[in-house]
Amino acid sequence: MLHLQPQNILIQKTLSEAFDALNKGTSLTLDRIISDFDYTTFHVSNSPEDKSILLLSIRTKAWQSVQKCQGSIGLLDYLQSKYQGCSGAAISPQPEMGYDLTLQITLSQLTGESLVQLSLLKTIVLSYPFQLAFDEFAQLSSTPVPVEGTPPVSNTLHTVQYRDEESLFIKPASDRITVIFETSFQDETDKIFGKVFLQEFVDARKRNRSIQSAPQVLFSHEPPLELQHQIQPRSDPSKRFVTFVLFPRHFQTQELQFNSVAQLILFRNYFHYHIKCSKAYMHSRMRFRVDSFIKVLNRAKVDEEDDSKGDSSVHAQPTRRTITGRKMVY
Amino acid sequence: MSYLNNPAVVMDNGTGLTKLGFAGNDSPSWIFPTAIANAASSNAKNTASSSSTGGAGLAASSTGGSSAASNPYFTNATSTTNFGNLTTASLMSNNLSGKRGTEDLDFYIGNEALTASQGANYSLNYPIRHGQVENWDHMERFWENSIFKYLRTEPEDHFFLLTEPPLNPPENREQVAEIFFESFNCAGLYIAVQAVLALAASWTSSKVVDRSLTGTVIDSGDGVTHVIPVAEGYVIGSALKNIPIAGRDITQFIQSLLRERGEVDTSLRTAERIKQEYCYVCPDIVKEFNKFDRDAEKFAQYVVENQDKTRQKVVDIGYERFLAPEIFFNPEIASSDFLTPLPTVLDQTIQACPIDVRKGLYNNIVLSGGSTMFKDFGRRLQRDLKSIVNNRIAETERLSGARSTGVDVQVISHRKQRNAVWFGGSLLAQTPEFKGYCHTKKDYEEYGPEIVRNFSLFNMV
Repeated sequence: MLHLQPQNILIQKTLSEAFDALNKGTSLTLDRIISDFDYTTFHVSNSPEDKSILLLSIRTKAWQSVQKCQGSIGLLDYLQSKYQGCSGAAISPQPEMGYDLTLQITLSQLTGESLVQLSLLKTIVLSYPFQLAFDEFAQLSSTPVPVEGTPPVSNTLHTVQYRDEESLFIKPASDRITVIFETSFQDETDKIFGKVFLQEFVDARKRNRSIQSAPQVLFSHEPPLELQHQIQPRSDPSKRFVTFVLFPRHFQTQELQFNSVAQLILFRNYFHYHIKCSKAYMHSRMRFRVDSFIKVLNRAKVDEEDDSKGDSSVHAQPTRRTITGRKMVY
Repeated sequence: MSYLNNPAVVMDNGTGLTKLGFAGNDSPSWIFPTAIANAASSNAKNTASSSSTGGAGLAASSTGGSSAASNPYFTNATSTTNFGNLTTASLMSNNLSGKRGTEDLDFYIGNEALTASQGANYSLNYPIRHGQVENWDHMERFWENSIFKYLRTEPEDHFFLLTEPPLNPPENREQVAEIFFESFNCAGLYIAVQAVLALAASWTSSKVVDRSLTGTVIDSGDGVTHVIPVAEGYVIGSALKNIPIAGRDITQFIQSLLRERGEVDTSLRTAERIKQEYCYVCPDIVKEFNKFDRDAEKFAQYVVENQDKTRQKVVDIGYERFLAPEIFFNPEIASSDFLTPLPTVLDQTIQACPIDVRKGLYNNIVLSGGSTMFKDFGRRLQRDLKSIVNNRIAETERLSGARSTGVDVQVISHRKQRNAVWFGGSLLAQTPEFKGYCHTKKDYEEYGPEIVRNFSLFNMV
């Protein structure tokens, strides 16, 4: 399991269970909490009037900052457009208490396609600022460059605060889109692992010729120039910055856009997941090593019998022992 | 801190099935086999990889070289450091050190593992045996995948409630703590004994009034049935008893009955479905036999369809409907080596406990696990146990001449019985006090893994 999936399989499973149950004539009574990365919680429940209608609510840390992103289209309109073609799902005008957004799901109209779309809810919410950046890029790149002047510059910088300590920044320009992640670690060991990992991210493109078309990755201790007006330099010395530079080839088509965005949104989770995996791997190697040392120690056990015999004749071959310390008898 | 709003994660890793979910839900989000399918490393592939890797020879010269030369045994399979030698490399076919890529991530868990293991490239492992973790490598990866892929949580943001069997050695607890705090950096950890959680789950029953943590838990899963007395939240280990009769034995008993009759389909699967859908506990076998003979409607039929639903086989179901669960109460009909009925074992267990808690133990007998789900199982158990107890009281009264105040026997069954342990965990972990009882990452760093040897019990409401 190298990659994390963009969709939440638990939502997918819960909804398809409810769908199957409805088809069998017994509608499920649901009132469940489902969680996702980065302080995201979903709530699946029956609509109070009709059991065949489900409510899917999302609460996420990033919501506030995503909502603040300014662009040609509002967040709710964007989500509306995304879920328009999705049969059986509609955005409820009034979100559930304590949640940011509520979708109404008419189970009888649900299709496989809309099931996937619903389980991508978090990714779609977070893709909003990216979409704004793509739009602005299109606008900037189509503006003719003045003959002796510099290309048009955008002052937009979308900030998504998706965790308490960490944010991501998206800056569109006329020829590229820059995505910057802040990273900070709570654990000291993670810091070291994280540093090595990020270094690998930067170097991978240089070493491996087959991934030359991947976005460029930069890693710095200082906030990159794009952020210099936004953040006081060295406001928090432990923070590091990872920059992805997306070129038009990474977001030319809808499909590419979706892939890039889904992977970028999961970047932090992917990163932390692999730090944890490599720790687990190290632990299993440590266990293996300890086991093998124990085997060596077992072999070194002195056998009482051996001494009492006082066998003085020279052994052609020393007595062999098994890993549990038992002697082999020939 | 914002993780305070996140729901706690409740994980119940059993021998057969793992139950995963979030506190506050009424049922686990995921229930799948505690199985992991690892990429089976072929000999040839590994030899090639370790001899071609530059790092391998380097490791040998730095660490293994000196000792290997002097000791003739050291060049054997145990010499993990000596990679340079080709013969050594082939001996290490299942050794981790030969791998240098992302092979450690090539595995599946749960139902996916069962599917993957049908292919040639994966081998299936069950990291938990008899309730206790046997293979920590596999377990660590199993947890890693269940947290990130199935639950989609960042362990740093969540508190975890794990379960352990009764009499789990404290060293195992420490291992769990090391994995959860060191590998996953989880925010906080609580390890609860399964029987105690099953008691907590029974609080949802209307029969329970005082929410105490004293009672006897009968936990019957697939492999073994435990009778566990719990006093004030602590397991009385010396009195605990195991019965080698559980779900699997019932299924096999049904299968043997079907075979004797020569039914058209006698697969284990069919027997299992019959067990789940048709079996019940009767108050008296002789009367039940008569009832069947008088009333043909008692007999049932089970239709087996083949995979593409083209052919149907009809299996008749007769006396096994009530005979199968009967092996708990009259084991001699199925097995020849274990002959004590469950009510007697239960009585012996409680009699082995300190005298001041016995009344509480008789009064609150809680069922948990799939094999206690038969209709009227609780009622029959209560009746049988009551007669044993009443006989003893009558005997004592006759001998001593004093009047006894009587002992109340009560068996409690409730709707959450199947996943009682998980549900009890979910109930406890959603209380606001839960986080206060957990050991946090900070505590762990201050005191080390031995901190998890003790957990304060939940105060009863």
